[in-house]
Parts: sequence; C-alpha cells; structure tokens
Amino acid sequence: MNILNWNKNFNRLREAVSTQAPVELWRTAAQKATWQGVSIALLATVSTVASMDAAAVPLFARQTGQNCQACHAGGQFPELTPYGRMFKLTGYTLGQRTSMPVALMAVFTSTSAPTNSSPNVPGSPQVGGVGTPNNGTPTFATASLFAGGKLTDSIGMLAQYSFDNYAGDTGQSGRMFSDNTDIRYAKHIINNQTDLIFGFDANNNPGVEDVWNSSGAWGYNVVPGSAGAGPSALQPLLLSQGLGQQAVGAGAYMYWNKTLYAELSGYRTGDGVFSFLTHNYGQTYIQGTNPYVRLALTHDWGTSNAMVGYTYFDANVYEGAVGSSLVDEHRDNMVDFQYQYLLDPSVVTVEMADANEQIFYGGGGATDTINTFRAKASYTYQAHYGASLSYFNASNTANNTSFQGCADGTAGNVGQCGAEGWTPEVYFMPVQNVRIGLQYTMFSTVNGTTLNASQNNTTMLYAWTAF
Amino acid sequence: MNKAILSAVLGAALLATGCSNLQSNTASIRDLNDPSVSGHVLAEQVCSMCHGVGGNSINPTFPRLAGQQPAYLVEQLKAFRSHSRSDVAGYQYMWGIARSLTDKQIDELAQYYKGQIPVPGPARNAGLVAQGKAIFLNGVEATGVPACASCHGPQGYGHDGFPRLASQHDNYILKQLSVFKHTNDRYTGMGTMMSPVAYNLSGDQAREVAAYLSSQP
Ligand code: HEC
Ligand code: HEC
Repeated sequence: MNILNWNKNFNRLREAVSTQAPVELWRTAAQKATWQGVSIALLATVSTVASMDAAAVPLFARQTGQNCQACHAGGQFPELTPYGRMFKLTGYTLGQRTSMPVALMAVFTSTSAPTNSSPNVPGSPQVGGVGTPNNGTPTFATASLFAGGKLTDSIGMLAQYSFDNYAGDTGQSGRMFSDNTDIRYAKHIINNQTDLIFGFDANNNPGVEDVWNSSGAWGYNVVPGSAGAGPSALQPLLLSQGLGQQAVGAGAYMYWNKTLYAELSGYRTGDGVFSFLTHNYGQTYIQGTNPYVRLALTHDWGTSNAMVGYTYFDANVYEGAVGSSLVDEHRDNMVDFQYQYLLDPSVVTVEMADANEQIFYGGGGATDTINTFRAKASYTYQAHYGASLSYFNASNTANNTSFQGCADGTAGNVGQCGAEGWTPEVYFMPVQNVRIGLQYTMFSTVNGTTLNASQNNTTMLYAWTAF
Repeated sequence: MNKAILSAVLGAALLATGCSNLQSNTASIRDLNDPSVSGHVLAEQVCSMCHGVGGNSINPTFPRLAGQQPAYLVEQLKAFRSHSRSDVAGYQYMWGIARSLTDKQIDELAQYYKGQIPVPGPARNAGLVAQGKAIFLNGVEATGVPACASCHGPQGYGHDGFPRLASQHDNYILKQLSVFKHTNDRYTGMGTMMSPVAYNLSGDQAREVAAYLSSQP
C-alpha cells in the first residue's frame, strides 16, 4: 500500500468527519462496520499518526515529549515501565502543561466464537468475552477520550470518558460514560540520602490507582473484548472492576527508596455529589467506607526489575437498593508478582496474580469463594513485534443458593462458573501508538467442567490505537 | 470498623501534609517549562527517574551522568534541544526532556553532575578487560584506530568536550560506538571526531574496550 492510497483513505475519513459529529461518526462506523470500513479507519489512523512526530501523540507523550515506550514496557500499553510508574506516582506532573491536554483511544475488534445458547453444548457461545461476540464481523468496540495530565506542580489527573458500543441493552446501541478517573497530589523528597514519594489519590475504580497493572483496571489482558479473563460472573470484585465507576475512593500512599510501596484507601458509593464519576445506570451500592490496602516490594537491578505485592479489599455490597437489609461482604486477597527485562531491542515481561474472594452473605448461610489465577509472559522486539502467552484459571464454590453463578443444567454442575485456558497472542506495532494483535483463547474448562470446553475457543483480531 | 479506617486515612493525610510543610524548603517541582526551577531540582525530581539519583543509573538504557564533563554535558543537552543529536534513544527519550530547558538550567545541570561521585560498574571478564585496556591506551595500529586515551584521557575521565567514559555502562558505550559507525545521528559538533574512530573498530574490539571502561572507577 503506498502513501498515495493512504492519503486518499485519510481524505475519505476526513470528509466523513467534517459532516458529522465525532460520536455520530463512530456510531455510524460501528453500525456499518465492514472490513473495508475498519481498514480505512486503520489506514487513516496509521497515516495520520505516522506523519506526526513523536512529540505529538497521546496526552502524556505530549506532556513529556517522550516516546510511548519510555513509560510502557516495549510500547505495550498499558503495562508500565519503572519510569512510567514513577510518572504516575508523582501525580502525572512531570513535563510541561500542553495546550491540548486530551487524547483519543479507539479499539476495533473482530471476534470469532460459537453462538449457540449453552456453553457446554457443542457450538455454544464464548464465556469470557466482554460484550457480544461478533462472529468475525469487524466491529468498532470502544473509544475513549482521555483528559487531564499535569494540572499544577503537585496535582495531576487522568480522566477517561468512554463510548462503549456494546453497552446498550439491545446489544448494538452504544453510550458515552465516565470511565476510569484518577486524580493525584504528590510530593517527592529526593536527594542523595532520601527518596520518598507520598501522595493522595482519589479515583472511581478500586485498583485503577495501581501502577503494576494487576487489578482489573489497566490490568494485563485488558485488550477490550478479550476472552481470556474468564467469565465475568466469576471475577473477584477487585479483578472484575465490579465496582468500577460505581464507587469512589480516596486514600494516601507512599513509595520509599524505590523499595516499599504502601497505600490505604477507602471506597464508598459514588452517588450524590460523586455521581459525575459513575455510570448513570445500574448503580451498585456499598455500605459505608470500605478499605483497600496495597503493599508492594520492588527492586531494580541491571536490566531487570521485579515486584511482589499484596492487595486487600473488603467491600460490603447491598444486595438491593441502599438501606436494604441484605448486605454481602466481599473480601478479596490478592498476591501478585511481576518481572521485567528492559534493554533495547528486547523487552520481556512476566506477570502473575493470584486472587481469592470470600463472600459472606447478609442472609446468612453458607459462604462462597472465588479463586482466580492469571499469568502472562510476553516478548517484544524493537517495540514493534511481539508475542505473549497468558494462562487463566478461575473456580468457585456454589454453596449458597443466592450465588447465581452460571447455572447450566445440561452439564449437571449448577452454579459452577470456573474456566481455565490459555491465550497465545501475536502483535505488531507499526507505529508507536497503534497495536494490531491476534489472540486465540483455548478453553480447557468451562462452567467448571471440561465437557465440550474447547467448543468455546475464541479468536480475536484487534486494532488498538491512541492519538 | 469504618470509622477506624476513615481516621487512619485522615491521620495519614494529616501526617503527610505535616511532612510536606516541614519539607517546604525542598522543592518538589517536575515542571520542564518553568525557567525558575534550578538545575539541581530538575536533576533530583526529573532526571533521577531514569539516570538515577546522583547520575548512577541502574538500567544501561540510561547512560551514567555522575562525574561527566560539564562542557560535554552542556553540548549534549543543547544538541538534544536543537535536535542535532538524533540517535533513536536520544530522540525518543531526551528531545522532550530538553525541549524547554534554558541555558542557565543546562549549566546548573552540568555542575550538578560534575559534583556527583561515579560508581564503577560490575567487574567484567578479565581477558576482555585486558584487551580493552590495550586498545584504549594504544589504539589498534593495523587498522588505524587511534588510542582512545589520546582524547578521552589516560583514565577515561575525559576533559572539556571529550566525555568521561570510565564507569559508563558497557551496553551504552557499544550502542554509541555503533551510532557513530553506522549513522550520522551524532555527526554534529565534536561528534564528527568520533566517526572515523568508530568506523575502524571491529565489533569484538568495541566489546573489549566497553568492558574495560565500564569496570573502571
Ligand atoms: C525517561 C527517561 C529519561 C529521563 C527522565 C532523562 N533522560 Fe537523559 N537520557 C535518557 C536516555 C535513554 C538517554 C540515552 C540516549 C541515547 O542512547 O542516545 C539519555 C541521554 C542523556 C544524555 C547524554 C549522555 C551522554 O553520555 O551522551 C544526557 C546529558 C542526559 N540524558 C541528561 C538528562 C538530564 C539532564 C535529564 C533531566 C533534565 C534527563 N537526561 C532526563 C533517558 C532519560
Ligand atoms: C580524536 C579524539 C577522539 C578519539 C581518538 C576517541 N574519541 Fe571517543 N569521543 C570523542 C569526542 C569529541 C566525543 C564526543 C562526541 C560528541 O560530542 O558528540 C566522543 C564520544 C565518545 C563516546 C560517546 C560517549 C557518550 O557518553 O555518549 C564513546 C562511547 C567514545 N567516544 C568511545 C571512544 C573509544 C572506545 C575510542 C577509542 C577506540 C575513542 N572514543 C576515541 C573524541 C575521541
């Protein structure tokens, strides 16, 4: 494909943009999406961004004037490098305020998965995916607007507004909503004797403030639409973002000598004055202020860095509306580990997170547990070509009748939602802010049984871009 | 329970605010477009995140700056600012950092790093180091490689615009030798002197001399 054609496609897109409001354009594009549409959008994006210089890409790259890979390991957004973590911990304040403190992100996916109604019957639907599998039709999955960045010398913000094309009840009518928001105040006391960062953070998704990408928000495997995370019914609150944009939290953190990180935050329902930070639909209510604790030990040596960490989150969730008598306690414990090797031209990352959630039902009776284990290893060459392999294993108990889970009578294992499998992936970043990837998720367990599990195997092709 | 948590968070908050008041003489400013911020503050608040506090970086992606010659450091920062030094890692990481630095800040940064004590890298294979030392002190007559010491000083400490190489990461030295040899990305100012030197140096010789230099104090 030569430059001339790229430009032609770009002009077509530009014409379309000039006659319609952007959101309308995305909506129309989504509804009419065809391979041609996706490729035009992609090519237009690639040709536009390729013609910008490195200092003209997303929000933080504009603010620091740096390439994406300074902050993202091998350029694989959203995984952070040690410098990227420092950037976030010091409150997104490094650099210079830009005249255009916004960035756009869009994700196109094409997913191929079975469509019948029972997961353990041959030819049944995927269990893990976010949204509706689109059976090979390339679809515009989601788009986000990021705003914020450096506000003062100590205060910075990252606010995301998203358009989720699958959010509507009828499947294909999207909507715009307030997504991850993280506001910080940070101080860094550093000289040849001391190195201490401390700060305050306010956000609307437990775990979004984390810099190691182990929680659901910004977690690895977060290519929107991936199947590899397991069924959402079975995710601990912390990993599933079950309280994302439902709760608001604030807390204090510190990072000492690039060795010890500690944070304590409290989360409450994001209603009333906080409702601008939450979805304007389906509010989940939690009782009072609920604690979130994060500890991590980190070490850098040579070309490597590693982290072992622990997260605790304990939330009292109303089964119904506020004040309803039934409150279920969800208690999450997560241990995570991370390793990175960073030296041009190679980047290796290894991540593991082992989470356990206990559910104590307000109505009394038996308790339930959810266990999830996820691991991922990736290799990226020259920040252009890469491959990764992920493993996931989730299981649960279904002791209490109120645990709905995934009732599947056919398989004779009511309430079992467990899934296990592998996701190999290859990806390519033609320019630093476009990633094109192909994932194949192979299930060995679905709904707690190996029966017909492989019928759920899913292929996903995605294009992820930010500009 | 909930009250206890709230008070803990508030307590921590108050404590930290207290600390920040006590520390108010220590600037915590990471603004790269504020000419009133001193080079010293920028070195600690910004540069340390990659180059390490005191300029002794850990990951070899980031060159060590401790004890670097001020005249050389000034030249490089200006070359990043004017985009005349355009090697890949240089523009990916340093163009943005340098874009709004003032001459005064650049001088202060150079003075700051001059005053820092370099920490030598880990010991390297003795055979490599011995070969490297010979090349560094005497050059390679057969291929016309001049003695590095003639420009970089007998101990590799450099002087004026000739950079200090002792205790630099060997991987960074190798990378720069390859930049001088294969590209024109640093063919500017005094950089023009290095290209013919690097051109005649073989890959093995470069590894030897890098091993020697990185392990020097
Ligand atoms: C995001 C990481 C990062 C930050 C922050 C950073 N640098 Fe750099 N710097 C680099 C990298 C990477 C290189 C190597 C570039 C290359 O290979 O050409 C470099 C190279 C340099 C060089 C050239 C060294 C030599 O031996 O030629 C100087 C001088 C320098 N930086 C100074 C600074 C100063 C001063 C600051 C703070 C104002 C700073 N850097 C902040 C990443 C960074
Ligand atoms: C004729 C003088 C001269 C000789 C001989 C010389 N150099 Fe250099 N070298 C320089 C100058 C000048 C620079 C700074 C270039 C610039 O300003 O960009 C330099 C830069 C370098 C750098 C980059 C340093 C940095 O921090 O980025 C390396 C590495 C280097 N020289 C290695 C060597 C080695 C190894 C030898 C011997 C084989 C050698 N030089 C011989 C003049 C010399």
